[in-house]
This record gives sequence, C-alpha cells and structure tokens, in this order.
Amino acid sequence: MKVAIAQMSPVLGRVDKNVEIHLEFIEKAVKEKADLIIFPELSLTGYSLKDLVPEVALRPETSSIMARLLKASKDIDLVFGLVEERTENPGLFYNSAAYLTGGEIAHIHRKVFLPTSGMFEEARFFARGHDFMAFPTGSNRAGLLICRDLLHYSSSYCLLAGGAGLIIAISAAPGRGITDEGSQGFESSQNWELMGKAISYFSSAYVIYCNRVGLEDGVTFAGGSFIYTPDGELCLKLPYLEAAFSIQEIDPDLIRKARKNRPYKRDDRPEVIWRSLGRLLREKDED
Amino acid sequence: MKINCPLVTRVLTNFIREESQKAGFERNIIGLSGGLDSTVCAYLAVKAVGSPSVFGLILPYKDYDQEGVSLAEEVARILGIEVETIDISPQIDAYFSGHPTDNHVLKGNKMARERMSILYDYSARLKAMILGTSNKTELLIGYGTIHGDMACGINPMGDLYKTQVRELGQYLNVPEKILRRKPTAGLWPDQTDEDEIGLSYEELDRILFKLVDERLTADEVIRAGLEEKKVRRVAELIRKAEYKRKMPPVAKLSERTVGHDFLYPYDWGK
Repeated sequence: MKVAIAQMSPVLGRVDKNVEIHLEFIEKAVKEKADLIIFPELSLTGYSLKDLVPEVALRPETSSIMARLLKASKDIDLVFGLVEERTENPGLFYNSAAYLTGGEIAHIHRKVFLPTSGMFEEARFFARGHDFMAFPTGSNRAGLLICRDLLHYSSSYCLLAGGAGLIIAISAAPGRGITDEGSQGFESSQNWELMGKAISYFSSAYVIYCNRVGLEDGVTFAGGSFIYTPDGELCLKLPYLEAAFSIQEIDPDLIRKARKNRPYKRDDRPEVIWRSLGRLLREKDED
Repeated sequence: MKINCPLVTRVLTNFIREESQKAGFERNIIGLSGGLDSTVCAYLAVKAVGSPSVFGLILPYKDYDQEGVSLAEEVARILGIEVETIDISPQIDAYFSGHPTDNHVLKGNKMARERMSILYDYSARLKAMILGTSNKTELLIGYGTIHGDMACGINPMGDLYKTQVRELGQYLNVPEKILRRKPTAGLWPDQTDEDEIGLSYEELDRILFKLVDERLTADEVIRAGLEEKKVRRVAELIRKAEYKRKMPPVAKLSERTVGHDFLYPYDWGK
C-alpha cells in the first residue's frame, strides 16, 4: 500500500484556492499510484482562522467543494482537514478530518481535544467532537486523530480497542522551543514523535502523522511529518519547516505480524477499562 | 444603528477618566483638527476630567485647512481648554525638499506622523494621555495612517461608526458647523473622505454594520439589497486593513512569546 503525505501550507481563509492545491497534490499522487493521500489539519482552510471559522465552513452533504473531492476519491483515498458545519446541527463548527474513499465519505472525525491555553484558542471558535471511532477502509481499519488528539493517549486507545491498524493523525502543530541545539527542528516536535513511536508500538498499528508547514501571523508550523510502523520503527520522516511531498510504501501485513508477536490487541480488555472509567465517573468528586 | 447617547457618554467619560488615572497621567491631550471626531473626543474629555485637565494641539500644515484651524480654535474656546498651535510646515517641507514627490498620500502620511510625533512629545512634557480619535469606520476600512493618526494612548471612539459619532456630537451640542462639515483627513486642500473612499459614510456604515455587527456574509448583505460592487469593495478594504489594527506579528520561537502566549491584561496592577 502506498501512502502519500502532503506536508503543505494552505492559504489562510481561502477554501477556493486550497481545493485547487489539494487537487494538484491528488493528481500527482494518483500518477505515482498512491492508494491514499493525507493532508494536514484544516488543510482546506488554514489554521489561525478566528472569526473566519463560520465563513469557511462546509456542509459535507451539499458542498460543491466536497463534491469535487468526493469525485477525486474514486481514484485515491483522501484524508484532509476542514471546518465542518453539520446540516442537522447548524451554527456549530467543528475542526474535522474527513476520510473519503470510492466517492463516499468513509468517516468524519471531529477534533475532541481543542487546545485552549497559551497561544491556542480553538475552543473559542470550534465545537468539540465527541467520539473516536475506527472504521473500515477496504482491507484495513483506520482511525483519525487531529493534532492534540494524538497527545492524549486515551484517544489512540479507543482506536486500538476499535481495531484500527492505521492511526492517521493530521496536524497544524506550531513549532515552539529553540534551546535544543542538537535538533533540526523545534523542541515541540518531539511531543508528536514520542507519542507516535509509543502508540505505534503498543497499538501494533501504523501511526501516520501529517503536519503542516508555513507561517501564519508569526507562528511557524513545524512540519516533520512521519510514519511509524506497527513495530514502532520510523519508516518515513519528512523535513522540519519546509514543504514536502512524499510517497511511502507501507505493508499492512506488518500489523498482523506485530499483533501475532506482541498480542496487546488480543489481550486488550475494553470491558475492564469501561468499568473502571464508569466507576471513576460515578465517583468523581467536584474537583 | 442608533445609539443610546446618554449611556455611551457615561461609559466613554468613565473610560477616559479611569484609563488615564490608571496609567498615571494627570491630563489628556488631543490633536484638534476642527473635524467631528476630534471635537467629539474633546467634548467627552472635558466631561470626563474637566477643562483644566484637557490640552489641545492644533497642528496645521500651511493653509491646507484654514477652516479646520478656526473651528478647532472655536472648540477650544467653547470648552475652555488650553490650546497651542504648531505649524508643521517647516519640518515637512524640509523633508520633501530633499525627497520630492507629487503623491498626496505620501505627503499626507508624513504629516500625520509628524503630528503623532509632536503629540507624543507633548504627552511626555505635560504628562498627558493621548486620546485617539479613530472611529470604528476608519479602523475597519483602514482609513488612517498607521503610526500616524491611528497612534494614541487610549481610544474612546474606536467602537463608534462615523454616523454614530455624529449622533453623539449632536447630543453633546457640538457646533452645528462641525456636525455639517464634510469630513476630511486634511491630506490636501479640498480633500474629502467620502470622495476619496468613494462611498458616503451613511452607505459605508450601513454595509459595515451588516458585515461586522450583524455578522452577515458579503453574499447575505448583497441579498439584503445593498449594492454588490460596494459591498465587495468594503469587505475587501476590511480584509486588507487588518495589519493596521494589530501589533506587528512577532516571529514565534520560544515557549513563551510576546504577542502570542505571554498574555497579561492591559490594566495589569493598575
């Protein structure tokens, strides 16, 4: 299976331009016979949207931009980021990731953990998602995460419990921290790398992380997209800070082998976790 | 778009008084042009802190706006505030004699920044807080000189559209001549804002109010019956002027960056 990663920089607030950029990357990936192409978080809109959020929102069922991407998904599976407004719940806007395949929406994940502290203000503008769900994509099961979702390990656990062999995290992670002299990139990139390695190994799943690059309002997005194998080995690392496009062959059979050798998935006990969490929530005191 | 003038006056006079005190200033200083905004601002300032604590600077360039100068003097007389007139022609002419241009806007910007420079100098000399007079219309469409007339210590007027400033001016009994006068930035003789912008303030404010306060999209405003070309133009002006409304972006490098995630209130400890 060939996975294309578009470590790109969208135009802030211009869905019309960004869809063209997406289609160009898609065309390139199709030519190179990739099976799946992944774009970063909010790839259709840019990240620092603030009050632009409602203006760039799409309703997946009726959007003509979505229709173009659905058409493109007949040739290749797509994962990208969008601001989503749901027809049945108007006025709520989600930071969403869509997986399209064969002209259909296979799944839309709505970002659950919206960073809102320090430089981040996502919960001022977005509604929170409520679910982590693995879903079938042909011969594999995949799960979607958006940026900070990956840094909460409970998110990936839900995808493990749901049987995901591909954990796809799309990201618009800004770079912060410049005191590590040995690093080519920002210190903050290490958060995702550490989590990617650990989650891939202990979930026996591929972790595919696509981060964006470029600058918005003085903030540099860190790049450094990567793929870890189900054995926790780095099999692709894109450069920090600069735009890149890369196609990586991955072997879904490695998921089977890893799960056979280290049966974390077989031995997982979601009912125990469920019971423990249930008790925690029932007994939770006010703090 | 009508405003509750007694309430607005109460809020803005409190604002001027409190913010000046918190910052440790004994007086307020205003550049008086004889136009509506600076006049209304001066009326508010006198209501807020009393005429002895308000100082006016009249900063003409040559005889570009003689009517403005005499109206500004009249305002100072009515309000009983101390005022000083400084002709900015020598320094402006000195600069442009070495770097000539026919571009009105370049000249106007330079004059606006010269006025700013004098206001800041007087602010330090008199320990006076500079009151800004940019209104909401100007801030939204970017009709002002960055680091020129847009520079100030505090801005009491920035959330009032031009037409609302006029309404407030009527309530405050600002001289009729000033209320009726064609707004001008004084960039060149006979210049008027409305000619330069290409829309009347009434049209402009109606469009802005729908886009900004009612949060309609440009398409929705057009569907509501406003002229498409004008609505698109105003929306584009708003977009292009964002840089004038913000501090310049700081390139983020560290974990805590001024302007990004080093976040303290303006009134910190005051």
